[in-house]
Amino acid sequence: MDFELLEEQRMLQDTVRRFVRQELLPLEALVLQRDTQGLTGEELLPAEVEERLLAKAKDAGLWGLDVPEEFGGLNLGALPKCLATEELYKTITPFTFPPDAPNLHMLVQTCTPEQRERYLLPYASGAKRSAIAISEPGAGSDPAAMRTTAVKKGDQWVINGRKIWISRAHIADFLIVMALTDKEKRARGGITAFLVDKGTPGLVLQRQIPVIGGHAPWELVFEDLTVPDSQVLGQVGQGFAPMQLRLTVRRLEIGSWCVGHAQRCLEMMVDYAKQRVTFGQRLADRQAIQWFIADSATDIHAARLMTHHGAWKFDQGEDVRQEASMLKVFATEMATRVADRAMQMHGGMGMSKELPLEFMYRRLRPMRIFEGPSEVHRWVIARTLLKD
Amino acid sequence: MKILVTVKRVPDPETTIRVKPDGSGIVTDNIKYVINPFDEIAIEEALRIKEKLGGSEVVLASIGTKVVTEQLRTGLAMGADRALLVLCDQELDSLAVSRILAKLVERESPQLVLMGKQAIDDDANQAGQMLAAVLDWPQATFASQVQLAADQASVQVLREVDGGLETIGFSLPGIITADLRLNEPRYASLPGIMKARKKEIKEIPVAELGVDITPRLKIHKMDPPVKKIGGKKVETVQQLLDLLHTEAKVI
Ligand SMILES: Cc1cc2nc3c(=O)[nH]c(=O)nc-3n(C[C@H](O)[C@H](O)[C@H](O)COP(=O)(O)OP(=O)(O)OC[C@H]3O[C@@H](n4cnc5c(N)ncnc54)[C@H](O)[C@@H]3O)c2cc1C
Repeated sequence: MDFELLEEQRMLQDTVRRFVRQELLPLEALVLQRDTQGLTGEELLPAEVEERLLAKAKDAGLWGLDVPEEFGGLNLGALPKCLATEELYKTITPFTFPPDAPNLHMLVQTCTPEQRERYLLPYASGAKRSAIAISEPGAGSDPAAMRTTAVKKGDQWVINGRKIWISRAHIADFLIVMALTDKEKRARGGITAFLVDKGTPGLVLQRQIPVIGGHAPWELVFEDLTVPDSQVLGQVGQGFAPMQLRLTVRRLEIGSWCVGHAQRCLEMMVDYAKQRVTFGQRLADRQAIQWFIADSATDIHAARLMTHHGAWKFDQGEDVRQEASMLKVFATEMATRVADRAMQMHGGMGMSKELPLEFMYRRLRPMRIFEGPSEVHRWVIARTLLKD
Repeated sequence: MKILVTVKRVPDPETTIRVKPDGSGIVTDNIKYVINPFDEIAIEEALRIKEKLGGSEVVLASIGTKVVTEQLRTGLAMGADRALLVLCDQELDSLAVSRILAKLVERESPQLVLMGKQAIDDDANQAGQMLAAVLDWPQATFASQVQLAADQASVQVLREVDGGLETIGFSLPGIITADLRLNEPRYASLPGIMKARKKEIKEIPVAELGVDITPRLKIHKMDPPVKKIGGKKVETVQQLLDLLHTEAKVI
């Protein structure tokens, strides 16, 4: 057993760390200011700033980290991606190295040669953005209960239904839409994925819903949304497994988000504890505060190891659904604990919107819901263990 | 053109440095090390020259134990072609360093040696000057702009000196030490990192060079810098003038 990172993994970490220090940290005040003005999501950074960051990332080759080489990426795998992601989450400045989401893994598994050209390649190079529409008003934790249907008419599919909480639907060049093609079979052969271009008639962006943590996902309505047969992503009825893979990758990534944010909170705690004096003593000299710090460091250490292990095992080509569920529960809850302690020991400053703590706390909150609520993951973990 | 760039491994300026209680040095546990920031600027300048001229080679040189490989690999990832590492586990003073570097210059015969103006760990600011003396080469320290002549036989260097800027020129070979404003070093890019794996880092045992590295300089004791005490606010200009006169005694 060897826990050392490879030399080039450490160098990647260094480069990203530097990118964060030089490019992203100086933007935090701006992000906090825009957040206070009520701006959300992509608006937290002005468009020209985001473009400048993307250009710098491209120069440094920080692009397509986990994209296979045949699609123009570096094919480093999940572990290096997690290392980079952890660094990016040591700041609240929202920025990711393209491509923008783990939809990559779903597309790689399923795209036809023609879909590769139209969707996968531009997506992998960062030229096209995507969103995925799974959740519905009546089916969130249990996507197999979805009611959106796709019916075949000649060589076309007609999609009707409603989706909710769809992140970045308004800026996506294309959506991956999950729909029922067989009401009896459902998750076992009855759910199909479709590629839907933005602006397709019948695709209605009904309303944007402001959500805690700077998110603003969308409710979508499909009214006789018609796409040709060539827009089926993967096999008809077999959309569930590639979607699960995508969710697993995202759960590993969420582990890194949480470790990054928690690490930043810990660093702020350590600095402040040495500096702040109450009743004639530094906070650092109080056992109550020392325990905040010790417990947080221990929490972070555990979550980091779980993340690295999960990503490593994924890179070995193994099934990590169970690990990903454990990580999702543990990392999101541990980061919540750490952020809460950090806010507590910063007193009034911890509550203020002048420090990034309050922003991180809000940003962490929905992570216990999306990609599966904690309770559902616990249930899945136990169900696997209790299976006869 | 062949350019030799010197690289020193130093503690990351972002880490908190603590002095050992007995003053014999700094606490090195859990410290992160980086390329001396001024050396990084020197690497960047060398790479820019190489990119402009084509057909050039950038060779890195460092002295230390095997751990320095980490910094050399980063320099290679920025784009340098190969590296030399003189293996030596002894503390060296600036004179010993410049004598070792002089041997490497003899072996490699570069037209230009680019160095940082100083290393941020001991801030000695001597290695470049001493190397010029040992080699009897021209030097331009504190460079904030480097202009190579079209025939590549000479160079003009803008230097930041007390009271302004100075331009000096000399014919190559020569030595230039980099100041902060010379350029903004690039990131070790990800493709660069992947390529660096295959680049050569040649290890040379210091004994092989046959130089006298007996220390002439001894560090007796290190002290942490005195804690800065907070400033004072005054109400009026008159009060300020009074205090500058009576308390600070500067006017
Ligand atoms: C910011 C944000 C962005 C999102 N982005 C997207 C997106 O891009 N695409 C997309 O498709 N979806 C997205 N979602 C939706 C998200 O995946 C769902 O909200 C989530 O799966 C939960 O579904 P639900 O809201 O319907 O809650 P429900 O399924 O109704 O669950 C409500 C609560 O009931 C409890 N619960 C449910 N099932 C069980 C169980 N078996 N055992 C014990 N307790 C249980 C849990 O506490 C759970 O939180 C996003 C959500 C948010 C908040």
